[in-house]
Amino acid sequence: MSNNSEAGPGGKAIYWDSFNPEISANPYSLYKRLRDEAPLYYNKEHDFYAVSRFADVERCLADHQSFSSARGDIFEIIKANIDVPPGMFIWEDPPEHTAYRAVVSRVFTPRRMNDLAGKIRAYCASCLDPLVGTGRIDFIADLGAKLPGGVIGMLLGIPEQDRDIVRERVEASLRTEAGQPMSVDQTSFQGEGFEEYIDWRVKNPSSDLMTELLGVEFQDATGTRRKLTREEVLIFVNVIAGAGNETTNRLIGWIGRVLSDYPEQRREIAANSALIPAAIEEILRLDPPSNQVARYVTRDVEIHGQTVAAGSVLQCLIAAANRDERRYSDPDRFDVHREAAPHLAFGRGIHACLGSALARVEGRIALEEILKRFPDWTVDLENARMSPSSSTRGWDAVPAFTH
Amino acid sequence: MPRITYIEYNGKEHVLDLAPGMSLMQGAVANDVRGIIGECGGACSCATCHVYVAPEWVDRVGAKSANEEALLEEVCDAQPNSRLSCQIQVTDALDGLVVRLPAKQV
Repeated sequence: MSNNSEAGPGGKAIYWDSFNPEISANPYSLYKRLRDEAPLYYNKEHDFYAVSRFADVERCLADHQSFSSARGDIFEIIKANIDVPPGMFIWEDPPEHTAYRAVVSRVFTPRRMNDLAGKIRAYCASCLDPLVGTGRIDFIADLGAKLPGGVIGMLLGIPEQDRDIVRERVEASLRTEAGQPMSVDQTSFQGEGFEEYIDWRVKNPSSDLMTELLGVEFQDATGTRRKLTREEVLIFVNVIAGAGNETTNRLIGWIGRVLSDYPEQRREIAANSALIPAAIEEILRLDPPSNQVARYVTRDVEIHGQTVAAGSVLQCLIAAANRDERRYSDPDRFDVHREAAPHLAFGRGIHACLGSALARVEGRIALEEILKRFPDWTVDLENARMSPSSSTRGWDAVPAFTH
Repeated sequence: MPRITYIEYNGKEHVLDLAPGMSLMQGAVANDVRGIIGECGGACSCATCHVYVAPEWVDRVGAKSANEEALLEEVCDAQPNSRLSCQIQVTDALDGLVVRLPAKQV
């Protein structure tokens, strides 16, 4: 039985899509209806399915053979039927994905990302110290828009003075207009913005990720041992720079937004930094920046008694799964003492977020450094602005009064 | 069924009877054992399912692949008895196995 735009048992028609800013601003009661009334949802207007329960999203992410990333992981990209350039491993299946990802999975590890703590802390200090005593902070403009890009730029070896320009170019390619599906620009993931650095680094090697990518030998999907081509390096750099920037920026925005609403717990965390990792996990659970991912269905599959045909697009609603009351009691509440079961903010399976350790370390240090200087704040809601971008969910501005 | 004991860093014990064939990581995640993340779902790529194998079991849980060896250098607080729990399969021979969880995965 189709559940699209027909009255669910709740009496009111259910409609969801990933690029409606009104839905995105406050999706959670709609997500609950989807979980309860349409756990397999079909959107007739745009022709896609969606799953919203934790168990279903987890199952779909784990089964990369039925639910493939090889046509992209964004709804509009899959529909556009683009050619995925080799090396764009986020949009590849095994064996190509396995070979490429192995090159970088040893870079973004728990140990190495924790080793960056000193530098990340220094970056935070340089962003936050000037704000002390002013009574104001904008979690995006003052920190979210600077820290992740700066750290990725540092990892990639991009000279400090150029990191802002590079970040802006990458961000522009991910932006969407309010209410519109993302327009797919083939060049947006071809590494535009990094060519000059790649060529310069070839001549001036250093101890950074770009140099490492240029020199590393790996076994490609055909079994051949070789180096990455220049085009593959460009794409790697672009994926890493793109993926690691807006998402972590959004996390910092949500730190500011969510903790404004829970002053008692915020003060508790300020007094006990051992609570910071749990706080970050709860913020990721409540408002994951990657709020949905899409998959291309490769074979007929049965979900909740219905057949989803091969060739369909399936959206995995991570932000809905993270608040599934079947897994989390009182799921809409931030609870730093929750001892939560693992969430899906970083995905699951072979495409689980490569940068999750970096995001966690950045998020924790950012929160710690914020609380050291500003244990109390209230978001200026009138002037806070959500981003219209549908690739991630979060804020363009989170201005706050610090007390 | 083989009985596996997971001891969290804070000392809390989970004694589980697990079906042969699943990995120690899967056993933990399926039974709400906190302290193992296993984000990559067992692909030996994220290094967030790190456990310490009790000394008397180290030589009985199977050899490490080259991939696992490389990733074990990347966990937090690596010790000689560190293993990635997604790479250890539950078998009848592991009945009585004890593993300890690290202070943190990341």
